Amino acid sequence: MKDSKRSLELWAFLVPALLILVVFYFLPTILTIFISFTPLRNWNIDRYARIFAGWRNYYRLFYAIQNDPSVRAVFLTTAVFVPVTLAINVLGGLALALINFFVGKRSNALINTIWLLPRMTPIAVYSLVWYYFFHGSEIGTLNSILIKLGIIHRAVSWGQEFLPYGAWSVIIFVNGLVGVSFGMIVLSSAVKSIPTEHIIAARVDGATDWQLCRRILIPQIRWHIMYVATWQLLSLLTSYAHTYLLVSWRLVDKSYGTPWALYVYELAFTGVFDQGLAAASGVFLVIVGAILGWLTLKILGFNKLVTEPRGDL
Amino acid sequence: MKKFFVFLLVLVSVLMFAKSLEEGIIEVGRNLEKNGISEVRYSVWSSGDPNSVIRVQGIVEAARRINNIWSKNNIKVKITIRETRYELDFTQMYQEFLSKQPLGTAGDFLVNSYVYIASLAEEGYLLDISKYASKYSNFMADFYTTQVDAARYKGGLYGLPQDTEARPFYIRRDIAAKVGLDLIDLDKKVAEGKFTWLDVYKWAKETVNKQASEWGLIHRRGTAHPDLMQFILAFGGTLYDSKTNKLVLDVSAVYKWLMIEHVFSKEKLLPSDMMAWDWAKQVHPAIVDGKTLFDIGGTWYWTEWQTKNYYTDPKTGQTRGLTPEEVKNWFYYTLFPAGEPGKKPVTLSQPFMWMISSKAGSQNPKYAALKETYDELAFLVVAMASSSDINAIHSIISAHLPVSQQAAKLLADEKWLTDLYNLNIDLDDSVKTVLRDIVKATVHPINAKFLTDVAYMLEYTNFPPMHPMYPKLAAIFAETVDNVLRGRMTPDKAVEFVIGKINADLDLKQNILIVGQIPADWRFGD
Amino acid sequence: MVTGDVETKGRIKEIFYLGVLLALSAPILVVFVLLVISSFGNQMATNFDFSAFRFTLKNWRLLFEGRMAITGGVRENIWLHFLSTAVVAGGVAFLTTFVGALTGYAISRIKFKGRKILLLSMLLIHALPGSVLIVGVYFLYRVLMPQNLVFIRYFSFFYVILARAALEVPLSVWLMKGFFDLLPWETEWSALVDGASRFLVWRKILLPLIKPGIVAVLIFGFLAGWQDLIYVRTFLIDRTLATFIESNLETEMAYMPLLAAAATFYLLPTIVFYISSQQLLFKVYAGGIRR
Repeated sequence: MKDSKRSLELWAFLVPALLILVVFYFLPTILTIFISFTPLRNWNIDRYARIFAGWRNYYRLFYAIQNDPSVRAVFLTTAVFVPVTLAINVLGGLALALINFFVGKRSNALINTIWLLPRMTPIAVYSLVWYYFFHGSEIGTLNSILIKLGIIHRAVSWGQEFLPYGAWSVIIFVNGLVGVSFGMIVLSSAVKSIPTEHIIAARVDGATDWQLCRRILIPQIRWHIMYVATWQLLSLLTSYAHTYLLVSWRLVDKSYGTPWALYVYELAFTGVFDQGLAAASGVFLVIVGAILGWLTLKILGFNKLVTEPRGDL
Repeated sequence: MKKFFVFLLVLVSVLMFAKSLEEGIIEVGRNLEKNGISEVRYSVWSSGDPNSVIRVQGIVEAARRINNIWSKNNIKVKITIRETRYELDFTQMYQEFLSKQPLGTAGDFLVNSYVYIASLAEEGYLLDISKYASKYSNFMADFYTTQVDAARYKGGLYGLPQDTEARPFYIRRDIAAKVGLDLIDLDKKVAEGKFTWLDVYKWAKETVNKQASEWGLIHRRGTAHPDLMQFILAFGGTLYDSKTNKLVLDVSAVYKWLMIEHVFSKEKLLPSDMMAWDWAKQVHPAIVDGKTLFDIGGTWYWTEWQTKNYYTDPKTGQTRGLTPEEVKNWFYYTLFPAGEPGKKPVTLSQPFMWMISSKAGSQNPKYAALKETYDELAFLVVAMASSSDINAIHSIISAHLPVSQQAAKLLADEKWLTDLYNLNIDLDDSVKTVLRDIVKATVHPINAKFLTDVAYMLEYTNFPPMHPMYPKLAAIFAETVDNVLRGRMTPDKAVEFVIGKINADLDLKQNILIVGQIPADWRFGD
Repeated sequence: MVTGDVETKGRIKEIFYLGVLLALSAPILVVFVLLVISSFGNQMATNFDFSAFRFTLKNWRLLFEGRMAITGGVRENIWLHFLSTAVVAGGVAFLTTFVGALTGYAISRIKFKGRKILLLSMLLIHALPGSVLIVGVYFLYRVLMPQNLVFIRYFSFFYVILARAALEVPLSVWLMKGFFDLLPWETEWSALVDGASRFLVWRKILLPLIKPGIVAVLIFGFLAGWQDLIYVRTFLIDRTLATFIESNLETEMAYMPLLAAAATFYLLPTIVFYISSQQLLFKVYAGGIRR
């Protein structure tokens, strides 16, 4: 009797999440795989959902990857974009969270708000402000500052000159800022939740800020750091939105400003709304993402971190 | 005598058309009343520049006119427009329509570029109105046939023309005078193919060498569609093959176009970062401040320069809009010149269409049983919205060209223009409220004259291909032009790049014919 | 004497940290300050050349009249957009936090079969991007939607909130699990031994203790709903501020200072929401030792 009550309780805790998993992930994933074998386009489910297209969508995707002259640039860009942005996201978020810990709450709120702005801004507006910031003429904010300071003498097209590094720097910078706030919020909330006794104890022992970080804070929030890293990795692999407008407004060079996710998005979701192809490339992307995510968890020690709960009575 | 007959003919046809549309409206109204329907609710979606609000308000006005006809005939039915949605970005509106039409939650009426008819009609999202077009053939007769034909797709008719435009080639009069470019009858020389891009190059170079202006040429930024496609046509190339229903990559014409971009950029007649210029801060100010001799523009620039503060007044240092007189005195306009001797001048139109969702009115009672009636009513609403006065108002306030003969006539009518300026015309009050400030800013005899003057360009016009794959090809062109202007690719490398891109995409490969080759002995520039 | 010395040292150190932080934040500050300035100007302020720049309230006036152009354009009810944005954002925030707190607790505290798999899959499903899932989610919507337009309108809110919240659930589950893990087992042990139900313990004892976590998850949920574009655009009948701005930001025609005003207006509630939730945090931790 007690057992059934306990299991009922367990279900009560899990049912909402399981429902969401099934309805909004499991079913759509099955449908996506299904759609990847249909010629679905323009949202016309009535017409195309029952037509079987075989491997055609996958074939088209690989054909494009194989034959498109800019695709090498796209892969190179992804190989640079994802790890560098990830490093900026995680380290930046961690650094902000730790410094936050040591400054007063007022400045804390101020800094946090500033760093949240990129995440809060509608994507088009966010792209617009950086468009003006990096604009390659005298109207560009960065150019005008550097010219005033006498560092450069003519306007520089940041995203178009010094290829590929110029384009990479711009997209990494713009995307990096969005991700930092994620790490910052998660990690500083985690730091705040560390039982204060641990910190008092360390302070009493005369630990400096740096020692406190290394010995107490970082080890205590390892779980969160690992989580942020994996989560951001997957986010970056699939993110295109913050780059899309910068490329289409020609602020950055197209070949070296296009990460893989954006390439796939453009293939599938602009112009012809080829949702069959979108689904195929999505399935492909998901597989790669899942493998990378799993590897990251392995490397960061997922098993060690998932301790058995003591909550069983 | 001849004039009189024309007048009589017009009068008769007007009477006939008015009557037959009205008859249809009464018939449909009676039918609805008989079936116990007292209100029909519609929503209209449209997009474009802020002055083109007639694209939604026209439907509001049409509903009022139909309601008037019904109440005059004692029919107790009325149309209510429950939603008027107007946005600036027409591609986003198209995307939203695509996703919501199958759900039945999209607008019942949509005004958008005719190029979308291909995909929308292909998916069955639009109502085929050819049946009603033949039923009300008198009404249809007033439209310019070429513009109506642009709405045909695979044997069906999927829209009524809402507006069209030409893309004038603007020339600064003051700069032309400085370097001695004679503008008298230049438009005729262009039309005869005697003034070509070879001359454009010569004068642009002269201007920049003499420092009469900073640049020789300015054009659209960001995309190659639609303006720059004129180069392909001006070199006698084509973009579409109607026999095979395939797009065409005309290698020779594309090469020549890219060579012009290359030479102009190399000799600093055209900014190498042109494709990344900012519209409001660079492109338009450069043109109105007199920093370029030539500009590849569009008819709507004419009023845009008046309603937006692009011009920096040297006297005050402040930005302001130009007056109609200034625009007229500063800018000369011609067709887009032929690419080289022996070729023809061109222009390009991208007409906007009134389209009707195939589910128009589906939120109304007894839709399934009365679908025929609702479909016809939807057509009649759009037909009413195409009334010549509504179309003429749209043309003058947004600097687009009218799509019917009657509307074109109204534009030449000074009294009508004055009445419009004072809003002494028969329009719904809500429409008047929306139009009030636009009318004050744009209705001017000079602007009306401009529209009448450029109307001849429609005889030279081309339409971008209505093909589902065209946006992809246009995107490749845009990237290529950017690369050529920045000096990253020579024209022959660029052509190779385009072909490579096409062959890498199976859809494009199947849908594009690559014809011709790079002309070996063709030279441009010094 | 000694304590005073330590305090001065502490203050210098804090000023130093703050300086570093502000320097790092400089680019963000610059672009957003310029955005706000532009919203009060006759042109976009981008390059510190203010010679033709004039201060004006016109943009804001036009915005509250619901217009997106100086001349022309139709009038829109901006407050209605505001309301629908708030409904979506609030709904997503609440739902993600609720589900996250329940599941996070179960994973952290209860032994059950498939616990590790559940946790792992909660991370790996993040590899399923919203832009891919949306086609399948659309399929379902098609099947589930009511026919009556009035009902569709409410249903579309309901569905958008659910679908958008679903994308944030993995995040909230993981965060919540992390926060529950930080609490020592003793916190609830005695209550459970006394026979209280887990649900009661969860609600009365544990939730109040992880307020920072709840706030963090609420913020993420709220922001996700507030700025979502693709789900809202596809399913919702009404418009939100984000879709309203997005569909009017068109580089060729748009009057940018007006959009700057719209963007600033859009940002204000999130900033207020964020700062007030921070205040809540500080109240909880007022007695805690920081330095």
